[in-house]
Amino acid sequence: MIPNFVIQKQVAEINTNVQISSIFEIDGRTLALLSDIENRKTILSDIPLRLGEESEIFLKDVQPGHQIDLDMGGKVEGYGIFAFPYGPVSSGVPESGGFKLITYGERIVKIIPQINFKKRGIERKVIGMQPNDALLLIERSAGNFSASYSTCFVTAVETILNLEVPSRSKWIRAIAIELERIYNHLHVFGRLSEAATQNVSAAETHVLKERVLRINAKYFGHRYLFGFNRVGGVSHNLLSKEERRSLLNEIKEITNKFSNLVTYFLSSRIFLDRLQNTARLSNQDALKMGAVGPSARASAIEWDDRLTYPIEPYNDVFVDLKTDEEGDTMARTMVRIHEIQSSVFLLEQLLDKMPVDGHAPSKLDVSSERYDEQASFSFCRIESPSGDLIHAVQIDKTGRIKLLHMRPSSLVNWLPLAKSLEGNVFTDFQFAYESYGLSYADSDR
Amino acid sequence: MVKFWVLHGIKNGILTTKYPKKEPTPEEIPLKSVPPTSVQESNWTVGKELCPTGAIENEANIDLGKCIYCRRCSDASFFFEDGTKSRKTALQAKILQNKDANKDLYAAFKTKAKTFQKSFHILMIDVGSCNACNIEVLNLANPYYDLTRLGIFFTNSPKHADVLVVVGALNKAMTNVLKQTYESMPEPKFVISIGACAISGGVFKDTESFVSPVQDVIPTDVIVPGCPPTPIQILEGLLLCMDRCVKGQETDMIKSKGET
Repeated sequence: MIPNFVIQKQVAEINTNVQISSIFEIDGRTLALLSDIENRKTILSDIPLRLGEESEIFLKDVQPGHQIDLDMGGKVEGYGIFAFPYGPVSSGVPESGGFKLITYGERIVKIIPQINFKKRGIERKVIGMQPNDALLLIERSAGNFSASYSTCFVTAVETILNLEVPSRSKWIRAIAIELERIYNHLHVFGRLSEAATQNVSAAETHVLKERVLRINAKYFGHRYLFGFNRVGGVSHNLLSKEERRSLLNEIKEITNKFSNLVTYFLSSRIFLDRLQNTARLSNQDALKMGAVGPSARASAIEWDDRLTYPIEPYNDVFVDLKTDEEGDTMARTMVRIHEIQSSVFLLEQLLDKMPVDGHAPSKLDVSSERYDEQASFSFCRIESPSGDLIHAVQIDKTGRIKLLHMRPSSLVNWLPLAKSLEGNVFTDFQFAYESYGLSYADSDR
Repeated sequence: MVKFWVLHGIKNGILTTKYPKKEPTPEEIPLKSVPPTSVQESNWTVGKELCPTGAIENEANIDLGKCIYCRRCSDASFFFEDGTKSRKTALQAKILQNKDANKDLYAAFKTKAKTFQKSFHILMIDVGSCNACNIEVLNLANPYYDLTRLGIFFTNSPKHADVLVVVGALNKAMTNVLKQTYESMPEPKFVISIGACAISGGVFKDTESFVSPVQDVIPTDVIVPGCPPTPIQILEGLLLCMDRCVKGQETDMIKSKGET
């Protein structure tokens, strides 16, 4: 099997439509993973790049083990300017993380996210572990994105070990990822409604989210999809036709209900006022700062890993991509609402066309015989609910992990959040924060 | 518009769980949220080797505070699954902290719980979790679990809080914050640690930034095992602090106290 990437020797100068996605250091060599937005390609470059000022700051942040400080430089001082810390024990944000807010009156002049309260050191811990043992930690680095995390890691490891995985397992993984996307988007919409004190909307959305969580538990054994994935296959097979049909019917009922109700929710003028024109992120800023996921698509960046870097099932199904040009909180919300529908459409195709071959191996011995010295490194990109997730994995001769580098989606979206909030009023903070779907656990793993 | 919502509400019916008046349904506590039960005594050593967190101590005892419910032991069929049995174990484990507890401690717990019998405010603090426990605690507010019907409310300030809900594996950056939050809460106060990470460190117990289990830093009253525990299980832990136990749970609690 050929590794799923090509190392490009020359990227002379980064033009505006190429986004730097991640930087790996492998055997003393620095590799840069780039996303060519225009041609929808992933490029791996191993020459030093010429970068702009913002890009350098961004690169520093994505380095593993680097102390994260998202201050973009430039002192703000003057009469009437107040700086106040927000967090780590704060209202509104359920996780522990902080912000340094610099305000002038009601307006936010600058915002510096502080995301180093939740460090667990997963990337260092997994070195020397068997991939299947490491999986327990990796799927717990961000609980609400666990299906994306485990699939991303497992796919990278399988590429290195040259494992022949039954395609049915891969399709089941995709089903799990789509279920995860649906409940995360519902969660974001519910939180936005809570922020606007739209209590009916919040309650209805959280009910639907709870029902998706229960579907997860029913078909995958766990509400947050922990432990269904392993190297070489999955533990749940969704065998019978009835099982698949009932899964589809249940999820369709939920999403149909949501799409019926959402028109009523969004007919509230008060709600719309808070969403429209809040935290606008321009297309150039989104490109320059490397925004990913629904937030990037809301700023007219057509990048979705399901289309641009498709792993197995996504080549055989139709992915409905929606972009928006506004770039404000409303646009991000609309993209998410659309993605719920497109995920259901995807689930319909996945459950319908699912190949019958092969059962997932119950026990897998990752033997080092299949190990290839040349291809000891691989990476994988998965579209997690809040964006592009990258895992770069290197495995040594004994089949243990030599290096793991995770580039979570939330980490790169902090800078766009900070940038887009400049000039907004302080009370809009909650809406901007929730609409990006950020998670501190995801950033500071 | 208003008419629509009223009709919509009536059509939906009552979604809220019958708990604590009735036992929770299997849908509310799925299989991977109850611990595995040991039966085959001869094979427990194999299960012990498979266990990633060292939760299996001997043939009879699984330390639920360490168990992450990964099902490695039961997948290898050394343990078997029985919903009813497992649930009972989970209930008994609620007061596992203070291992050498005696009757005085239990009486003190009881008097403290009596003061909160009607209502209290909870504050959630995250000391390094994966966000799953956080969402489960937030889920308590949704109409399925509806915390406010039991007189429990969320608060955002430690000064207003009666119960501190701790989630996550305690790391260096949050240790002092946790202590300060605990100290600024008024007396009497309860501390509940939720999830394997808060109780024992779970899968993160060997990572470089992990400090210690939460009960080593601040006195913990109730633990809720799980990874993550379901909202119903968290609710069970909260109701313990209110001295509003479910029928049958009380005796289990005393028994586990007496035995240890």
